[in-house]
Amino acid sequence: MAFGKSILGDLKAIVGEANVLTSAADLAAYSYDGSSSWQSIPGAVVFPSKVEHIAATLELLNRHGTPVTVRGAGTCLSGGPISPPGGVVLCMTRMNRIVELDREDFTVKVEPGVVLHDLNRELAKHRLFFPPDPQSFLAATIGGCVAEGAGGPYAVKYGVFKHYLLGMTVVLASGAILELGGNTMKNVTGYDLPQLICGSEGTLAVIAQVTLRLLPLPEARCTVLAIFNDVRQAGKAVHRIRASGVVPAKIELMDNWMLRRIEELSPLGLPLDAAAILLFEMDGSAASVAPETQEVIRLCQEAGAIQARASEDAKDAERLWGARRAAFSAVFGSAPTVFAEDVTVPVSKIPDLIDRIAEIRKRYDVSIVLVGHAGDGNLHPSVLTDKSNAEHCGRAEKAVHEIFVAALALGGAISGEHGIGLEKRKFLKHAMQPQAIDLLRQIKSVFDPKGILNPGKIWE
Amino acid sequence: MAVGMPGVLDSESADRCMKCGFCMSMCPVYGVDHNESHVARGRNMLIRMARDGGLATDASYRDSLSACLLCGRCEAVCPAGVPSPAIAVGARSKMVRERGLGSSQRLLYRGMVKHRSAFAKLVRGLSWLPGLSNRKGAPVRHFPDVVAAFFGGMSLPRLSAPFLSRRLPQRIPPREGEIVGQVAVFTGCIFEFFLADAGSDMLLFLAELGYEVSYPHDQTCCGLPVLSGGDLDTAQAIAKRNIEIFSRYEHVVTGCASCGGHLKRYESLFGSDDPWKEKAAAFARKVEDFSEFLVKRGHLAPRRREENRRDSESAEKAGGKPRVTYHEACHIKWKQHVDEAQRKILLGIDDIDFVEMEGADSCCGLGGYFGIAHPDLRLAMLAKKVDAIRRSGADIVATSCPGCLLQIMDGLRRENLPVRAMHLAQLVRGGY
Ligand SMILES: Cc1cc2nc3c(=O)[nH]c(=O)nc-3n(C[C@H](O)[C@H](O)[C@H](O)COP(=O)(O)OP(=O)(O)OC[C@H]3O[C@@H](n4cnc5c(N)ncnc54)[C@H](O)[C@@H]3O)c2cc1C
Ligand code: SF4
Ligand code: SF4
Repeated sequence: MAFGKSILGDLKAIVGEANVLTSAADLAAYSYDGSSSWQSIPGAVVFPSKVEHIAATLELLNRHGTPVTVRGAGTCLSGGPISPPGGVVLCMTRMNRIVELDREDFTVKVEPGVVLHDLNRELAKHRLFFPPDPQSFLAATIGGCVAEGAGGPYAVKYGVFKHYLLGMTVVLASGAILELGGNTMKNVTGYDLPQLICGSEGTLAVIAQVTLRLLPLPEARCTVLAIFNDVRQAGKAVHRIRASGVVPAKIELMDNWMLRRIEELSPLGLPLDAAAILLFEMDGSAASVAPETQEVIRLCQEAGAIQARASEDAKDAERLWGARRAAFSAVFGSAPTVFAEDVTVPVSKIPDLIDRIAEIRKRYDVSIVLVGHAGDGNLHPSVLTDKSNAEHCGRAEKAVHEIFVAALALGGAISGEHGIGLEKRKFLKHAMQPQAIDLLRQIKSVFDPKGILNPGKIWE
Repeated sequence: MAVGMPGVLDSESADRCMKCGFCMSMCPVYGVDHNESHVARGRNMLIRMARDGGLATDASYRDSLSACLLCGRCEAVCPAGVPSPAIAVGARSKMVRERGLGSSQRLLYRGMVKHRSAFAKLVRGLSWLPGLSNRKGAPVRHFPDVVAAFFGGMSLPRLSAPFLSRRLPQRIPPREGEIVGQVAVFTGCIFEFFLADAGSDMLLFLAELGYEVSYPHDQTCCGLPVLSGGDLDTAQAIAKRNIEIFSRYEHVVTGCASCGGHLKRYESLFGSDDPWKEKAAAFARKVEDFSEFLVKRGHLAPRRREENRRDSESAEKAGGKPRVTYHEACHIKWKQHVDEAQRKILLGIDDIDFVEMEGADSCCGLGGYFGIAHPDLRLAMLAKKVDAIRRSGADIVATSCPGCLLQIMDGLRRENLPVRAMHLAQLVRGGY
């Protein structure tokens, strides 16, 4: 353990005995996240119940130079919430109140441990809606999503977390409590600090409260399923739809592996040899959704879809999206180790990236599953391997590297939403100029001079 | 004896858990204390680590194993189909095989439960002692602390007197007219010992519908409490006995959600090379929940229309009809997936005023061994449930699990709430 009994006693005095875990099993339960290659046992898990708890905890640990890793639900796919051995995990899940819902101005103030799904369930009662939808929404917390800059299928039309961030309360490593941003749609008071915290992966400050912008719940929704024999045709369909001016809320792409998994887990009667499927969601007023749905179906057929149909009703639509979620999750259970990548390219370059990945798959003789947000250029190629098989794992790592190189060459980025964390830090230098990485380090040292907040993440 | 576990009980299936965290959105225990070692995702990881030598099987490990209600929600939501409750049971069994049972558990499982009828005789003798049973129809009061200690401080109703099997014969002819069919009933321990009135309502209702009801008195506990405590060997012995006793019958009905959920999964107790596996599967196919049985055979078509159903906020007391709310047992919804049948039945009863409580499907917190090992968590969950019952404004809370009934009765007593708790069978028979 990196710290002594007295720190433990102080921690208990701050948050209460029941909010500090130290037993072997409890610590092991906070040793991992959603990724498959990283694990390490912390020295204690601390649950704050209010912002003052966070402040006092950080002040104490900063004094002792003890590493603190903030954790939400631990669904991160890049090792972000994993503490260095013996460090303190500051777990936000017991701070899970919706503090204030402003139905006049469509904003909500939440504690960081509120689960995204719970928020939307509450909002739906008031016919409101918070669009960003990382597919881990059943578990992921608002704090974790802000810290990862998360987003999901809705990004096509509605954007990602950072587009909804109005203000936040943060606690610095020193224990100082700061209010950043505010409650307004526009705000250019100084540097945009909330945006800096967003996506900082717990390395700059602890997010203690967040104010988010909301939208009214769309009146109508319809899902379109289109099946293609050729991935390029699917790419063509996406391009034509975007050019037509119709803006689907979601455009999701799945490859043949995913399609087969769907048929296994929740059969929809898909042709098992098809190359790709696209799943669209149209939303808006009832008057606009119907014609737009027809237009999307027509454009898919024009692009060569062998099948394109609209969902029959809400239940049918939920079945299609549920199948997509289940199949994506199944990727992680399909091999002992999964490198779930997260590259993003300009939307028009998706077919090129897919071709490149097919070559890489062949060259290194590894399985690479493809699923992604075709509407925003964010693809999740997942390389299936086993870290206990060094030879195979070596090939898989090379494949991952090549995928990054391919994405960057196409003008893309190595992570669209999962963050860098531990998983991708060794690739950072390929994606950012050395001076820019230096700037990151300097920013970090201003916020957290002793480097206690989530050390070892993002860069090597 | 080999330490390997049959089929889904084996920790191998925990390797399929990809830590997506979906189970955290559903788990009632995690919902109370947000401790990841108390939910499937964490527990699966601990079990894998312990198996691979990366974690000591100390008290904290056993605490994690016991902090599961075996409610089945995580399995229902799991995209990888990980049988987490079974994995937890397998790990508990492994602990028991390695460390042995505690003396009170051994007495309970291998004495009382395994030899149920002998035990019943003993208790019957004791039940003459004042205060132990509700022989004179006295209001249900607390069962002496001796037994309560087994159940983590839960206050139990007095013992039924006489027990169910002493009230009704092994064969109950149809009440009148033609025989519409034959059915055997698995009653379960709680109907037998504590809620014999409700149990006999179920048996008699089937007879009134025209069934020839078989009620073999030599049947025993379903074995779930025993398995939940990690005593796989006794659970297997109990299962074999029930499978044999019911081998003569084509349809087996139970009014206990927990027994039903377990009987339907007897197969999982046996390894793939065990000849009992096939027998268990054949037996499981014959088992139906009471409500499922009724609805499948069209005995209770809903007479009230769906739009008559009101939620608790808007409902006012309708013309003298008792207001009934419904607690959905975990083992009905998440293990047996027959929750639709229950509501069809409730909506079909004309002279009650049915209102939904908030969180009808949230767990009452009993969970067998869980409640014994974690009385504080049990009570926290129970308090939520009782509060929802209070807010529904109901006169009666109905459910289809005698286990939930005991737990809810305990909660109503603790809160002094003048609401009656009833089994669905009592309602359909008009006993309100
Ligand atoms: C099945 C599955 C599907 C997924 N799909 C998507 C997807 O579609 N889109 C997407 O973007 N992501 C996705 N993810 C990744 C992950 O769910 C998101 O990154 C999510 O935002 C993490 O939230 P969390 O609460 O689990 O945070 P954690 O995993 O606990 O933490 C993530 C990071 O945030 C930091 N952090 C957490 N809380 C705070 C706080 N209060 N203050 C400061 N820092 C904090 C942590 O230190 C860590 O670095 C998926 C993951 C899984 C398992
Ligand atoms: S839902 Fe299933 S796969 Fe996901 S964490 Fe829970 S047990 Fe594991
Ligand atoms: S069975 Fe129920 S209590 Fe146990 S882990 Fe699953 S959801 Fe939680």
